[in-house]
Amino acid sequence: MLTETVAPPASGRAASPAPRPGPRPLPRLLRGAVRLRRGGRGGGTVVLVLYALALGAGLGLASANWATRGRYPFGGIALNAWTAWPKIGSRDADPYVRAIHARTGEVPLALGEGLLLTAITDDAGRRLDPSCRYRIAGATPPARAWTLTVERGRHATPVEPQAGTAPPPLRAGFTSTEVLRDRDGRFAMALSPDVQPGNWLPMPEGEGSIRLVLRLYDTPVAASTGVLEREGVPSITREDCP
Amino acid sequence: MTPLGRFVLATLCGLVLAGIVHVATVLAIPYLATGDAFARSRATLANDTSVLVHAAGTVGPAEPAPPPASSGQPAPGQPAPAPEGWLPRQDPAVAVGICAYDLDDGPVRITAETGPLLETIALHGRNGAYYAITDQAALRGTVELVIMTKRQFDEALATADEDERNRDVRIIAPSREGFVSVRVLAALPSQQAQANEAARSVSCTIDGPDE
Repeated sequence: MLTETVAPPASGRAASPAPRPGPRPLPRLLRGAVRLRRGGRGGGTVVLVLYALALGAGLGLASANWATRGRYPFGGIALNAWTAWPKIGSRDADPYVRAIHARTGEVPLALGEGLLLTAITDDAGRRLDPSCRYRIAGATPPARAWTLTVERGRHATPVEPQAGTAPPPLRAGFTSTEVLRDRDGRFAMALSPDVQPGNWLPMPEGEGSIRLVLRLYDTPVAASTGVLEREGVPSITREDCP
Repeated sequence: MTPLGRFVLATLCGLVLAGIVHVATVLAIPYLATGDAFARSRATLANDTSVLVHAAGTVGPAEPAPPPASSGQPAPGQPAPAPEGWLPRQDPAVAVGICAYDLDDGPVRITAETGPLLETIALHGRNGAYYAITDQAALRGTVELVIMTKRQFDEALATADEDERNRDVRIIAPSREGFVSVRVLAALPSQQAQANEAARSVSCTIDGPDE
C-alpha cells in the first residue's frame, strides 16, 4: 500500500482509459512498463505489476507443490471409510496423479494388476488416531489375493538395520493368506498399540497420520468398482481410546 | 481509478497468473522429473533381466545397502544385487522388479517363469501403465510378451509365414521407451526369498530379427 503515494497521474494519460475501467490489465501494464523506460514516472504501477507477478509465481508454485506432494487430491471413489483409486495406473490418469508419480518415483498398480484402496478415517468419519484401538472386519473383497497394511506419516521412517540380535520389525500388514478367519470366511483385525489376541496389527510408531492401505491383486473389481460396493469393503470401527 | 482499485486489480491479475502457473507446473513436472520411475529405470536398460527395486519383507524404503539376509540366497562370492530402494513405500509383502526397454533396436521379448506365487507384469510408458497381465495367463508356466511399435508390428505381420501360427502375445507400445514392472506377492514370510528371486529373474531381451 506504500505504492499509491508515488503514483502521480501521467499528463497524457488522463483521457485514455476512462470509459472502460473493467478488467483490462494488459494495456495498463504495458503502459506502466513503457513509462518506466521513459524515465521513472508512475513507479507505483511498476510496483503493482511486480506485486502481481510475484503473487502469481509464488501462489502458483506453492499450490502446485502442495497439490503434488504425495497424496492424490481427487479421482478416488469413496466407499465408506475407504477410497478406491482405480485410475492411478491407467493411461487416463489425471495430471496430478502423473505429477505425484513423477515426484515420488512410484510405480503404480496398473489397471489389470490390482486396485489400491486407502483409508484415513474410521467408518464414523473420524481421523485414525494412533493411540486408539480399531477393529477392521468384514468379508474379503473379490480378489485372488489382497494385503492390508498400515502406514504412518507422509514419508516412511527408515528401517533399522536388521542386525543379528535386533528384534524383528513389527508386522506392517496382513496378506489374505496370513489372516485368521472365522467359519464364514470373514476376518477381524485389531489395529492397536497394545498386543491383542487374534489378528493383531500393531499401530506403527513414529510421526504423522495413520493410513490404512488395502491392495487387491488380480481382481475383477479393477474394471468396475460397482462390484466393490456390492460385496462391501472391510469396516473400520473405533473400539476405545485412552 | 482509485489506488485501492488498482491494488485490487493487481491482486486479481496475480491470482489469475497463479492459476496459470499452477496448471503449467503440474503439467510440466512429469517432463522435468529426474527421479521418476521412468528415469530411474533407464539405468537398467543394458540388463537382460529385471532388477529388484523393492524386496518383499522390507517395511519402508530399502536402505542404500541393506543386508542380503532378506534378499534370497546369494551365491558364494557373488552377492545378490541389493534392491535399489528409490521406490516410495510399497506393499511390504510384494517384491517389485523393473526392466527398462527401448524399442529402437527391435521388439522386446519379456519372458517370466511363473511359480506358485501371484505374479503380475505391467508395461509402463512415459504416460503411465498401458498393459498388465497376471500369471494366470501363463502357458506351461511361462508368460511371454513381445512389445513392439506399430511399425514393427506391421512388419511382423507382413513377413509372417501364413502356415505357421504365431503364439506370441504382441503388444503395441505407445512410445519407444518404457519399462516393465513385475510384482510378486509373498503371501507368507517364508515365500519372500522366492518372491524376490522371481521378481529378479524376468528376462527382457531384444527379439532377434528372425523370430
